Amino acid sequence: MVGPPRLEEELRDPGGRGVAALRLAPVPAALLLGAAAAAALLAERLAAVVVLAVVLLAVSLRAPASRRRPYLIGILGSGLGVLVLSPFLTTLGYHVLWSGPTVPVLGKLDVTREELEIAALQALRLVAVALAFTVYALLVDHDRLVSAAGFARRSALAVALATRLVPSLERDGAGLAEAVRGRGLAVEGARGHARLVSPLVAGSLERASSLAEAMEARGFGRPGHTKAPQPPWSALDRAAVVGAVLLVVLASSWL
Amino acid sequence: MALADVDRLTYAYAQAGAPALRDVSVEVADGEVVAVLGPSGCGKSTLLRALAGLVPHFHGGRFSGTVVVGGLDTRGARPADLVGTVATVFQDPEDQIVMARVENEVAFGLENMGTPPAQIWPQALEALDAVGAAHLAGRHTAELSGGELQRVCLASALALRPRLLLLDEPTSQLDPEAAERFFDQVEDLGVAVVLAEQRTARALALADRVLFLEDGRVLLDAPRDAALAWLAEHRPSFLPDTPAGNGHARPAGETVLSARGVVYGYGSRRLVLDGVDLELARGEVVVLEGPNGSGKTTLAKLAAGLLEPQGGMVDRVVRAGYLSQDPGRYLVRERALDEVALAVGDDGRARAALERVGLGALGERHPRDLSSGERERLGLAAVAVAEPELLVLDEPTRGIDPRRKEEISDWLFAYAALGRTALVATHDRSFAADRRVVLGGNGDVAA
Repeated sequence: MVGPPRLEEELRDPGGRGVAALRLAPVPAALLLGAAAAAALLAERLAAVVVLAVVLLAVSLRAPASRRRPYLIGILGSGLGVLVLSPFLTTLGYHVLWSGPTVPVLGKLDVTREELEIAALQALRLVAVALAFTVYALLVDHDRLVSAAGFARRSALAVALATRLVPSLERDGAGLAEAVRGRGLAVEGARGHARLVSPLVAGSLERASSLAEAMEARGFGRPGHTKAPQPPWSALDRAAVVGAVLLVVLASSWL
Repeated sequence: MALADVDRLTYAYAQAGAPALRDVSVEVADGEVVAVLGPSGCGKSTLLRALAGLVPHFHGGRFSGTVVVGGLDTRGARPADLVGTVATVFQDPEDQIVMARVENEVAFGLENMGTPPAQIWPQALEALDAVGAAHLAGRHTAELSGGELQRVCLASALALRPRLLLLDEPTSQLDPEAAERFFDQVEDLGVAVVLAEQRTARALALADRVLFLEDGRVLLDAPRDAALAWLAEHRPSFLPDTPAGNGHARPAGETVLSARGVVYGYGSRRLVLDGVDLELARGEVVVLEGPNGSGKTTLAKLAAGLLEPQGGMVDRVVRAGYLSQDPGRYLVRERALDEVALAVGDDGRARAALERVGLGALGERHPRDLSSGERERLGLAAVAVAEPELLVLDEPTRGIDPRRKEEISDWLFAYAALGRTALVATHDRSFAADRRVVLGGNGDVAA
């Protein structure tokens, strides 16, 4: 039996064109995102990293607001953390902007213009890399990436599953906090939440074990597996791969 | 020759003291539907795992006897070798979904078993169509409801064109309507089915033959009619449930919670509760019913003080405790006794609470080493130990065997008889109560 024609058509191109926001197939999209992250790490000019971060932020905004929110909050927090802390942990430059007390182990606390510039570059690099991951996690079709992985299918599937389980982890964390509050106990501050990390990890391992069992029951790991047919790459996909290579070369030599 | 032949199987999980199955012998014929009943932890899931080859290959442990499925002896054949003969649908759909899109999920097993590429999509679509889920193709699995996900899991199993379908409490996470739809689809499959279930009504209606397990032993292996007679005589709580009325209605005491015109919604979605009223009195057990999405859990959380209403008011004059759905997943300590003592800091009270739920002997065990039913009871003890005057339980009978359900119900009435109040949000229409409050799909309330 074969289903209705419309659905047959859908299944010939399951999931449409992968990264709908970019109109790219998953492999070129992943390569382009990887290249953007590499370029952010290689580039020495602050303006270049700013441009990369802004472009990646614009793309990430195409994901549903509820799904992108935790990623963006995390990125903002860690970026600001690097920007604020980094000047106190390095000693660099002569243009002192602020001079503070002497602290054991760290020595004299001061902030120079050079330290701030370095901190801004490092923070933006972190933000750009994290945004590239956000776009990968929220907008790339991981199934087709796995399917395209060929010899590295197991590794690609492991990465895809780890990415897909992030929302489950989020839900489990909220469930744990709620279960504790339901017993009349408060879950407050970093310490309160830190106590939930161990059971959260244990719960994830348990979930992973159940999933592994279900995968084994469905023949995962059996020799001679095949791949469902996928649509061929478009000209845009091929251009994205060339663009990814150019981006890395450009970043390492000029930006 | 039988499709599946289990001969004198005794099996103990690695590091477990007692065997989960003891000297079990069962045969399953082609096209036969076998219902496996029994209390939580009796070995139902282990028997299904043995038929799938997951016991012993995935779980290790000590294994004696033989299991032969489709001519393959599972001592030599691995689970992957049985794919195409056997397919399994597990209890929790969230723990078995591998791929991000529905059609890829169904195609996953087909790819693993080496189906020619040109046949993969047609076979996947055929399976989705067979379970009435063709319209889900193209959807993200993360966006589906529990019922939809479980249908996708069934389609994934059917796509492999198995001769033997193993269903391990496949409807425990579904509301009654979704469970009905699931069983309707199973009824029309025409393959051999071994179905472990706690919702005995539909399982017994579907079955050609019934197995009853207890402590890992087969107490009964009989055709359905003979099995019904045996259950009536020996294990009446496993007979199909009848909807409970308000048979325990007793004079209520003073009001402990009054909710008026409560409004609540999540994000930009429509309001889940819109102008709902609820009143709870001291000494009563109240059941909160309603279809999926009617706001039972939200109202339960508002009653327990875990959420604040966005409109209207909730006036609660007593201390509340709340037991969430699936509490076995949300245990935070490394010893059962510590888990219960967490709320009161008193081992003596914790031991007494464990005794009350029948876990007195398991206080030293790690909570995650307990069976799912034992974990549910541990969760109940962990909330009840603080003796909240208002105890709110969200789906406490999900996945619980009928006998244990009766015990929970009796326990709640005894709890309420001490002048406390219990509010139970549940799909289970057979759960006894003093009063039933029905939430409509549009947020209205009928008491």
